[in-house]
Amino acid sequence: MNLCLLLTTLTLNSKLRMKTPKCSLNLPSHTPNDHTNTCDDSVTHTLFSSSLSHSLKPEVRWLQPLPPISLPSHPQTSFTESKSTNLSTKKMASKVLAAAVRRSLSPKIPTSIRPLSTAAAAVAEPYDETAGISMKGVKIAGRPLYLDMQATSPVDPRVLDAMLPYFVSRYGNPHSRTHLYGWESDEAVEVARSQVANLINASPKEIVFTSGATECNNISVKGVMHFYREKKKHVITTQTEHKCVLDSCRHLQQEGFEITYLPVKSDGLIDLNELRSSIRSDTGLVSVMAVNNEIGVIQPMEEIGQICKEFNIPFHTDAAQALGKIPIDVNKWNVSLMSLSGHKVYGPKGVGALYMRRRPRIRVEPQMNGGGQERGIRSGTVPTPLVVGMGAACELAMKEMEYDEKRVTKLKDRMLNGIRARLDGVVVNGSTESRYAGNLNLSFAYVEGESLLMGLKEVAVSSGSACTSASLEPSYVLRALGVDEDMAHTSIRFGIGRFTTEEEIDKAVELTVNQVEKLREMSPLYEMVKEGIDIKSIQWSQH
Amino acid sequence: MATAVPPPSRAEIISLFRSLLRSAREFPDYNIREYTKRRTIDSFRDNKSLSDPSSIAAAFTDGKSQLQVAKRQAVVYSLYAPKVKSIMDIKH
Repeated sequence: MNLCLLLTTLTLNSKLRMKTPKCSLNLPSHTPNDHTNTCDDSVTHTLFSSSLSHSLKPEVRWLQPLPPISLPSHPQTSFTESKSTNLSTKKMASKVLAAAVRRSLSPKIPTSIRPLSTAAAAVAEPYDETAGISMKGVKIAGRPLYLDMQATSPVDPRVLDAMLPYFVSRYGNPHSRTHLYGWESDEAVEVARSQVANLINASPKEIVFTSGATECNNISVKGVMHFYREKKKHVITTQTEHKCVLDSCRHLQQEGFEITYLPVKSDGLIDLNELRSSIRSDTGLVSVMAVNNEIGVIQPMEEIGQICKEFNIPFHTDAAQALGKIPIDVNKWNVSLMSLSGHKVYGPKGVGALYMRRRPRIRVEPQMNGGGQERGIRSGTVPTPLVVGMGAACELAMKEMEYDEKRVTKLKDRMLNGIRARLDGVVVNGSTESRYAGNLNLSFAYVEGESLLMGLKEVAVSSGSACTSASLEPSYVLRALGVDEDMAHTSIRFGIGRFTTEEEIDKAVELTVNQVEKLREMSPLYEMVKEGIDIKSIQWSQH
Repeated sequence: MATAVPPPSRAEIISLFRSLLRSAREFPDYNIREYTKRRTIDSFRDNKSLSDPSSIAAAFTDGKSQLQVAKRQAVVYSLYAPKVKSIMDIKH
């Protein structure tokens, strides 16, 4: 019995103790340099008494509800119980006193410490004020230069400028039909729809806004197959597809559909004859991505579209990485469905668009049921600011495509030549002709990719897709290309975009070359190669 | 609409060019700052050969609206500027 009591008082005490530092934490710490003149006795005294009475009140109030917590079912314990709480209140009181003294010593009131205005101070708080950043155990002098445009791109200031009004005053639900707020939002959404449609030479009626390319891919692959499930049982896709298409296919497989994963040639492109021969009478969908996210190769879209037209099979393409970077024409490509994403074209994250052909009409089973927005294909309120951002980004992409393309190609050449001039054993993964210039996927022989990335903390790059960058496994895309295991492990994807500068490229080249040289110096493999030993001929005892 | 606007004078064009470059400098973000500078210079160079008064006027109004965007966004960007600068701004 006593033991039990002791335990409860102990926990009570410890609870109290846990709480008290919290209270004192809010007090400003005593800074000796501040206001030394206010530390005369009289001032301190008055401050002391006033702050004591102030600070005691909340503490006492806080203590009051505690006694009812004490065990109700033990009548004879009440005396000792109250005694122990008294004890703890005494302790509390002394603590409060100490806190009050501490507070009185620094006479600033807490609110005066903060700078008077500017949101910047409040927003930038997560970063420490010392020079450099320390995150995940890595110390960097400044924000790394960004070369990972395939993962996501920064929002263009012109896009943000178009979005901000819809975050501030035009907050209406675009589906509200009864007031101005709804009307103006609806109008903005429709303008954005036509902006997206213009970029891909489609009709605005064929655009459905979604949450991103992943959702588009899910609607396309699963939605089409579910809709035509009576007649069509077969899907053709490629091995180098994005994870969300492959996963949707796997899901279909579990439901009894059959999937053909087309292999790719060593340049990352599919074999058109192989595609033609794998088409069956019950093939319901061909899904091939336009620009690969990891290696940047551009599939022969027009030819694939032609084959699909010939066999009258719906053709879906994931054009998230292609939008705004290469010219897209849904009629030339003959696509029935196309997935687009906002944040790869300097737009906001969290928005995408699905192109759905109207003639001949393609139908899908919706993945989400609800209010019937977007013609019932994607229920849920359309996020006006994001959609406006995507529209603005598409319009901008249309204007800037030529300019960006020229520049990105120039920077890519600068980077590749810069690296090749100083390093041997550098391989560009994927086709060199049919590729988007802004994606440079390189493998550095005799270097371990993870160590290279670790050493390149001042350059924001990745080894492949952001979705799989957490795993140490080599990329499945590179394996599908038939890249050797050791080369697949050392791949780095440099993504060049609209805002990349020559200086950044030069810096990235310099840092990469230095790091590769450093790692090669340590590598026994590289030493052996230098001595003329063929590594492939070595029999490793562990294998 | 654009045809109704009289073509801008040389002084006006140079003033717009300078204002754009000035607002570019206001961006705390390294990449945006450099891009704004570069894009301004490149588009003025591209439009150098324009001779049709209406297209000159159109380009001028477009530049003016871009200046407004740049001015607004320079404020937004500086409000939310991270305390730690880009590595490109540090080692120069």
